[in-house]
Amino acid sequence: MSVPESVDPRRLRITNEAGTEGTLIGFRCRECGVSVFGPATFCQACTSFELEAADLGRVGTLFSYTIVRIPPAGWPGAVPYVLGQVELPDGPQVLAEVIDCEHSALAIGMPVELAIEAVGAPAASGGGSGGADKLVYKWRPAGA
Amino acid sequence: MARLRPGREVVVVGVGLHPFGRFPGKDLSELALEAVVESLKDAGVRWRDIPIAYFGHVYYQGMSLGETTLSKLGLTGVPIVNVENACSSGSTAFWQAYWGITTGMYDMALAFGAEKVPRGPVTVTPDDAPERYIGGDHMMAGYALRARRYMEETGAPVTALAQISVKARQNAALNPYAHRKDTYSLEEVLQSRLVADPLTLYQCCPTSEGAAAAVLCARDALRGYGIDASRAVSVAAAVLTSGEYNGRGADHSAFSPYRTEPAALQAYEMSGLGPEDVDLCQVHDAATIGELQQIESLHLTPFGEAWQATVEGRTALTGDIPVNTDGGLLAMGHPFGASGIRMIHETVTQLRQEAGPRQVARARVGVAQCSGAGDVTTVHILKK
Repeated sequence: MSVPESVDPRRLRITNEAGTEGTLIGFRCRECGVSVFGPATFCQACTSFELEAADLGRVGTLFSYTIVRIPPAGWPGAVPYVLGQVELPDGPQVLAEVIDCEHSALAIGMPVELAIEAVGAPAASGGGSGGADKLVYKWRPAGA
Repeated sequence: MARLRPGREVVVVGVGLHPFGRFPGKDLSELALEAVVESLKDAGVRWRDIPIAYFGHVYYQGMSLGETTLSKLGLTGVPIVNVENACSSGSTAFWQAYWGITTGMYDMALAFGAEKVPRGPVTVTPDDAPERYIGGDHMMAGYALRARRYMEETGAPVTALAQISVKARQNAALNPYAHRKDTYSLEEVLQSRLVADPLTLYQCCPTSEGAAAAVLCARDALRGYGIDASRAVSVAAAVLTSGEYNGRGADHSAFSPYRTEPAALQAYEMSGLGPEDVDLCQVHDAATIGELQQIESLHLTPFGEAWQATVEGRTALTGDIPVNTDGGLLAMGHPFGASGIRMIHETVTQLRQEAGPRQVARARVGVAQCSGAGDVTTVHILKK
C-alpha cells in the first residue's frame, strides 16, 4: 500500500519514504524578513515578491489551545480533540491537533514538536467520504 | 491606509427587521421581503423610488437572489448587487450603499441582508480543504483559542465571559425580534454543554434565520423625496477593512483577535469623533470573548480591561458604555447576511429614542462593528 500524500504540500513537506517525518514550510521575505507559513505569492507584510522558500522546522510553543467537544461536520478524527495554536520560532502560528497529551497537562507556553499521522478523508456534506487519506501535521509535547 | 474621501452627508431614513429565529415555512426571499417592506414604510418611500439595492447573503440558495427577491416588489430595472463577505455581508452591503450615495452616484439606496444558516458548527472552507483534515476550521474553536489566551494574559475569570451571555439575554428579553428571549443565570451559562472549552453552548451565538434592511439617502435629497428629516440618522463613518499581516497568520481570527482596531481608527478619523463620544455600541459577539476584544479594539476600554467593565456592569443597558443593547449575536442569533444590518437597525432605533424598554439614557452616537471570516471588519458610526 502506498504512503498517503501530504495534506497540503505547500505547508508540510514529507521527508522520509515511510511518511512519518517531515517539516513545515513556507516563505521568507528577502526585503522585510517576515516569514509566512504555507503558500504566498507576495510577502503578506510588505507585498514584496522577493520571497525565498523557507523551512519553518518542526518545533514550536503552545500559544493557546481548546478541547473541541462538538466537532465540525465531517470531522474524521476522534472526539473530543485538542486544537492547538502553536507559535513557530520564526513567528508564524500553526493550528493543528495536539496529540499524546493529557488534557490536564496542556499549558500555554509548553514546547511541542511536529507529529505526522495519516488521517481519513472528512465526510462530504452530502454524505460519504470526500477522498483519500492524507498525511496531516499535528503537535505533541516535545520529547513525548 | 487609503485616505477616505466622503462627499455628501448620508443619512439612514428607514430600517426594517424580520424577527430572528427558525422559520421552516418561509424561504429566504420571504424573510428578506418583510424586512425590506418594513424599511421602505419606515422611510416613507416606495420601491420605485429606490435607484440601487445591495443584498448581503452567504449560503448558496440559487443565483441572483437579490434580483429574484426584489422582483416581487416590481421590476424597476435598477442595479441590484449581491454581496458575499462572510458574517459581514450585510454590513458590507450597507457600506456600499453609503459610498454609492456620498460619492454622488445615487441619491438613495437600499441595503438588505437575509440568511437561513444551517444548524451545527460553522465552517468556512470546502469539504475537501486541508483544514477539514486538520481540524482548524471551526468558528467557535477559533473563539475558544482567543478566550483561553485572553484569560491567560488578562487574568479574566470564566465567569466574566459568562456574564456577557447573561447580559445579552437580559437585553434580548426586552426585544421582540430576538431569537432567544429567555434569561438565564451565570451558573446556567457555565453549566451548559461544552462546545470548545472554555466556551459553553450559551457562550456561542445560535445559528439563525432572519433578515434586516436599511434605506439610506443623501441629506440634500430628503426634501425631494418628501422624507421626514427629523427621524433621519447621520452616517458619520463607514469603514470596511480586510486583514493586515501581523506575522502570525491570515484568515483565522485566532491569529488577529484585534483586527478591528485599524477599522476603528479609520472610522474615528473619518467622523471626527472619538471613543469618548460613543454612547452605545453593537459589536460582533458571535462568542462571548468576541465582545470583549471588539470593545477593546474600539478603544472603549483599555486593552485587557473590557472584562472588568463587564463585571462592573458598565456594558449593561444602564452602564456608561452599553454594548449589544438588542441582545447581540448571542441572543438575537446570527443570520450572516442580516446581522450587520440588524446592528444598524438597533443603532438607529436607539438614536431615534424608539427602543422602548431597552432605550439607553443618552444615545446620540452609536457604533456598529461587524467581523467576518477572511479577516473582514466593518465599523460604522451613526450620529443623531
